[in-house]
Amino acid sequence: MHSFIQFITGPMVWISFGICFIGIVFRLLQIFRLTREKENFMFTFLSVKFSLRSILVWLVPFLPVSTRKSPVFYAVSYIFHILLFLTPLFLLSHVILIEENFNLSWWTVSDWLADIFTVAVICALIFFAIRRRMVPEVKFLTGLSDYVFIILVALPFISGFIAYHQFFAYQWMVIIHVISGELMLILIPFTRFFHMILAPLTRAYTASEFGGVRHSKDW
Amino acid sequence: MNHKHLFIISGLIFLTFFAYMTVSAQNEIIRLDNSAFENPQRPGAVFDHDTHNEMAGLEDDCSVCHHVYDGKTLIEGESSEDSACSDCHELKPTPENSVPLRKAFHNRCKDCHFTSQKGPVLCGECHIK
Repeated sequence: MHSFIQFITGPMVWISFGICFIGIVFRLLQIFRLTREKENFMFTFLSVKFSLRSILVWLVPFLPVSTRKSPVFYAVSYIFHILLFLTPLFLLSHVILIEENFNLSWWTVSDWLADIFTVAVICALIFFAIRRRMVPEVKFLTGLSDYVFIILVALPFISGFIAYHQFFAYQWMVIIHVISGELMLILIPFTRFFHMILAPLTRAYTASEFGGVRHSKDW
Repeated sequence: MNHKHLFIISGLIFLTFFAYMTVSAQNEIIRLDNSAFENPQRPGAVFDHDTHNEMAGLEDDCSVCHHVYDGKTLIEGESSEDSACSDCHELKPTPENSVPLRKAFHNRCKDCHFTSQKGPVLCGECHIK
């Protein structure tokens, strides 16, 4: 068991981050190549000004009209996305591991607060799952994979929560926690998780067309 | 009630008490003193010094953990049983000692446990709630 734990907390972390990083670069190059091949005209009206303006506007909660039309969903979504990154990045246990291996450390949240954040993330994911069943227009677009991705994101948080509280099967919970976290990293470039990289590009495309061609706002 | 009964009853009370003491002594969790830390987030690590050293075969070599350093060089053959870890390891790295206290504890335990493939290595295996 020791060598297995050593592998998943050592080389596997490097492999996961490596695949994630190289995958992102590869996917971005692929996207630029495809755009050049198939939609080269896009570069004739692509505007840095309209792109940045749109990205900035969409970063402000409830500024875009469509976010105000579904305030509950967007409120949950904002909180979820912020905590999804904030919790693991500023978790003491994670920072300790980085500190012990690289002599690097930064500000952390206290464990009780991280605990609340974790519960909030899990609740948000339950909300997303229920929404996919309840809202007709969303249900229409929902397939099995949508639930699989919700479970994939939930896994490291649920296993981390159970492990932190030492409710049961501690060792296995940590193992599930580490592996599911690494799986998420590996999947980022190749699945819909890639929207974290793609979203600004989508905004740039839409904003350039709306600003430069249609002369209207895209929010 | 005659003397025989009294003897048996007091004997039973003594035995029950003795058994309770033995069991509770075995159940007593011995933890490392974490009072040197400001606002510790976890309970001190469970560590029974004598049992650990017996199992790890360290009875004769205190200096593995109770080491003495001069700057960055380990002084062979010298040991520091009389001082606490926090006497040399500060909360933050200092010019005299680059290993802060938390890192000293964590790496001292985990490195050995990984090398020997024995003993706890995950957070909650030592910091038992």
